[in-house]
Amino acid sequence: MIRVRDLHKVYPTRFGEKLVLDGVSFDLAPGEKLGILGRNGAGKSTMVRLVSGAEKPTSGTIERGMSVSWPLAFGGAFQPQLTGIDNVRFITRIYDQDFDSNLAFVEEFAELGPYLREPVSTYSSGMRARLAFAISMIIEFDCFLIDEISAVGDARFHHRCNHELFEKRGDRAMIIISHDAAYLRDHCTRFAVLHDAQLHLFQDMDTAYACFREKIGLEAEVRPTMIQWPQDRAVLIETTHTVAVLDDAFKTAVQQADWHRDAGDWGLAEEAYSAALQLYPYQRSYWVQKGHCAKEAGADVRAEAAYRTAIALGENAADVREHLDFVLQRQGVTAGDHPAREYVSAAAQHAPPGLPDIMLLQRAVSGDWLPSDDEQLRLLRTCETCDDVLAHLLNDDALARGPKTRDEGAAREELNWVPLLLAISHPHYDSSQKEQLADAMRKAPDLLKEPFRFLASNGGFPSWNSVSEPAEHAA
Amino acid sequence: MASEALNNTGFGESLSIQKRVVGALLRREMLTRYGRHNIGFLWLFVEPMLFTIGVTILWTATKSVHGSELPIVAFALTGYSSVLLWRNMPGRCIGALQANLALMYHRNIKVADIYAARLLLEFGGATISFAVLTVLFIAIEWMEPPDDILTVFAGWLLIAWFGCALAVGLGALSYLSDLVDKLWHPFSYLLFPLSGAAFLVAALPQFAQDIVLWIPIVHGVELVREGFFGSQARAVYDLGYLIPFNLALSLVSLIALRYVSRRVVPE
Repeated sequence: MIRVRDLHKVYPTRFGEKLVLDGVSFDLAPGEKLGILGRNGAGKSTMVRLVSGAEKPTSGTIERGMSVSWPLAFGGAFQPQLTGIDNVRFITRIYDQDFDSNLAFVEEFAELGPYLREPVSTYSSGMRARLAFAISMIIEFDCFLIDEISAVGDARFHHRCNHELFEKRGDRAMIIISHDAAYLRDHCTRFAVLHDAQLHLFQDMDTAYACFREKIGLEAEVRPTMIQWPQDRAVLIETTHTVAVLDDAFKTAVQQADWHRDAGDWGLAEEAYSAALQLYPYQRSYWVQKGHCAKEAGADVRAEAAYRTAIALGENAADVREHLDFVLQRQGVTAGDHPAREYVSAAAQHAPPGLPDIMLLQRAVSGDWLPSDDEQLRLLRTCETCDDVLAHLLNDDALARGPKTRDEGAAREELNWVPLLLAISHPHYDSSQKEQLADAMRKAPDLLKEPFRFLASNGGFPSWNSVSEPAEHAA
Repeated sequence: MASEALNNTGFGESLSIQKRVVGALLRREMLTRYGRHNIGFLWLFVEPMLFTIGVTILWTATKSVHGSELPIVAFALTGYSSVLLWRNMPGRCIGALQANLALMYHRNIKVADIYAARLLLEFGGATISFAVLTVLFIAIEWMEPPDDILTVFAGWLLIAWFGCALAVGLGALSYLSDLVDKLWHPFSYLLFPLSGAAFLVAALPQFAQDIVLWIPIVHGVELVREGFFGSQARAVYDLGYLIPFNLALSLVSLIALRYVSRRVVPE
């Protein structure tokens, strides 16, 4: 049994003291496996170090009624000049073990061959990880502390690690930290969320994960922000791709979607991917995922739209095309009739549109009305560029009069669409100019409702064919 | 093995763990510093020997003015070996913790163990170098055997004690501030000529004697020289100053060590 009581840890920083753990208490019985969720820098690793005894708490107690490992797979406390064997020998001495049997195990598990006799500085990161893990496994403990073990190595290595840990040592207690929530779900019996220096304990993953999502969702200010005012559509797509996957809110949304997908709940999965894409509409990879789920659910129209969007936003067309062809075929459409338009690095008005573009332009033109799925798809099929989309939205009577579904306004406001729209309408404005426009819009609710005229008459949509005509028309 | 991870370990067992850990660290340190190439760990004392031989030859050649009729070889050997002893210990311990932060993940390895391993290595290296050169110089008749070897030992150990205490204190403080590392180099460089390595206290004018005798190492070096030269030279030292000084320094250093040990964050 490990008893942790009222643990506090304070780090001095340049800006005063930082409270990392505030009254953390829990018990861990033999054989229990506790998975800990928490955002980057929440103090998960600190907590594990305190439990291991490598670091002392500011106050509070830790009773170790069983032997506890060091935090496993921390890159390894290797002296780079020393050989793998030297490092094995060192650990063997520290823990008073039999060197020959340890060496035999490491040779077999780490598969380093002759490299075991070379300095660690010559190893690749994968080799280091194998050596670190093998060394971790030569000492038997009652409780293993595992800090981000899945970060390195290939699939086979992961499989062998899991075999060593969860099959051979399945009876041991463990505390596991991982960014991979699925890993925790598969291997843990209890769960905890570490947030704002507090530890919340849960018996099942679903509740824990819901709590985790809620906690990080409330912290909008700590989310990695996109460039505040993306310059233009190309920058928007580029930064989204890298920033979204760093955002815990996005990651958790996607994680939940992945679980629904893995469970075969296609409808729920598609909804969850849509929710994630609300946060980053230009994240092209997840349009593919959404498309797959819609395809499996038999929603060919939404699947086709999602695939077309992914291709238009720059996802590798060769990978997506077979899926697109499949849903086209199922609708009885010949692939050649409506070719998919691939991403071109060009100004927004010359770029092929995706669903986010249609949403934004529609939002600009007619407030809270949203075209139906069929209309969205029709626009994607027929419009070669975003300019065409705008022309349709402005001029197409059928569209203006046609059936529209009322948009759930709330879901749409969640998306902070103004900076995105300005990236498309005002690529020639700098951040402060965009800020001014956004301010003016925020102050006048009418403008915010249908901002198109305002944007167009304030230098927006330069050299968009669709815009110059109706503007003259109005004059 | 399981038992040592538990909270309560007896003193005897703790001692054996510590011996094992320091032993393991010592070997690791030797391999890291000297490697397996050419003469390997022999560098441990060959390096200080080369230093000492070089200085001895230099001082002999320039007939360094040390203010007495003492044989210059023995004078240089005792003086420079002492410097190597007290000066290398803090040099090795400053920054030692930062370099070994990753090791702190192992509960049985304490900050004190890291310093202990390095100090043992330094002490061993300087002592072997001193002993080998003494025997060598006697054998080739560059100097006479020491007058009283026990006094030499006593002086040598007192200097080592001073060096260890200073090293642990500065090592611990260096974890808290980079300034320690920056200031140690000029400080040790300035302390070298004042440490008694290059002069005999008795040869100095009275006002200078009064000043240098405030420096604790001077007493240790004088004691070593007394052991070497006996009545040939008049050694000036006061163990009633050096020993309490070492005690007080040790206490301060151990407090610093404890303070740092509680705050160290493994890498």
